[in-house]
Amino acid sequence: MKSSLVRQALLVAALAFVPGLVQAIYFGDKVSWRSPIPASEMVTVTQAQAWGENAIWVDARPDNEFASDHVPSALLLNEDRWSELLPQFLAAWSPEKKIVVYCSSQGCNASREVARRLRKEAQLPNVFVLEGGWEEWLKTNR
Amino acid sequence: MNDTSNIKHQTSNIPHFVWRIVDVIIGGIFIYAGAIKVLDPVQFANDIDNYKILPWTIGVGFAFYLPWLEMFCGLALILRRLYLGGLSILTALVGVFLVATIAAKVRGLDITCGCFGHASQNWNFPTHLALDLAILGVLLALSFRVVSGNRLQHAV
Repeated sequence: MKSSLVRQALLVAALAFVPGLVQAIYFGDKVSWRSPIPASEMVTVTQAQAWGENAIWVDARPDNEFASDHVPSALLLNEDRWSELLPQFLAAWSPEKKIVVYCSSQGCNASREVARRLRKEAQLPNVFVLEGGWEEWLKTNR
Repeated sequence: MNDTSNIKHQTSNIPHFVWRIVDVIIGGIFIYAGAIKVLDPVQFANDIDNYKILPWTIGVGFAFYLPWLEMFCGLALILRRLYLGGLSILTALVGVFLVATIAAKVRGLDITCGCFGHASQNWNFPTHLALDLAILGVLLALSFRVVSGNRLQHAV
């Protein structure tokens, strides 16, 4: 029975590999294989600050972290209260502005998720993720 | 190619058709879960990356492969072809997923599993855990039934 189980498992695994490979080839150029965020969607603190008034800063961290400190003029928009905070953000947004989303550090996911939802669900253009997040902003500014 | 259609189900008082229904439900769940992930591999790659276990590149590879594996295993359960293989892979997948989910929680990561697309994105940790444990329990019960049935066959 054991050899039958292993043989069958290998066969199922191999069968599933075929369409997976075909899809990877087909969609290969639609996803970045090197980094979760394509370089074109990242922005450094210096670049974002150079945009000045044309940038709208979005803090994707939890409420308590935003309350303790944040980038001046940043708007809170996190996934915990997405439905509640999105209308407030949209009221402040205008099409010519570039959106800079940040979370706590380079390793956090919140900014990536919020940026993705802004692009996909809110269909907003010019959404960027801040490289290094809040930690990097602090290093540069304080 | 071996399958388990010849296994006699004398191992419990539960009628055969009940087990078949369980096969179809569990198989259907995995086909559904795989299908929604196949439609959005980039999102699934992000979900895998949220666990911070695998490098991004490997996660992307898995994002293309795992949904198909889930669907093929689900099909194996429903069609009862390569049944043992499908069942053992699904049991291993859910087991690994459970460990990864608990490890992520312990490490303080805020993860969305994305197991069932957007529907599952707002589930909290206990809901994830309860659902995964329930599925793992059913998969283990199916495995136990096959193993016991096989032992009985050899004993006769």
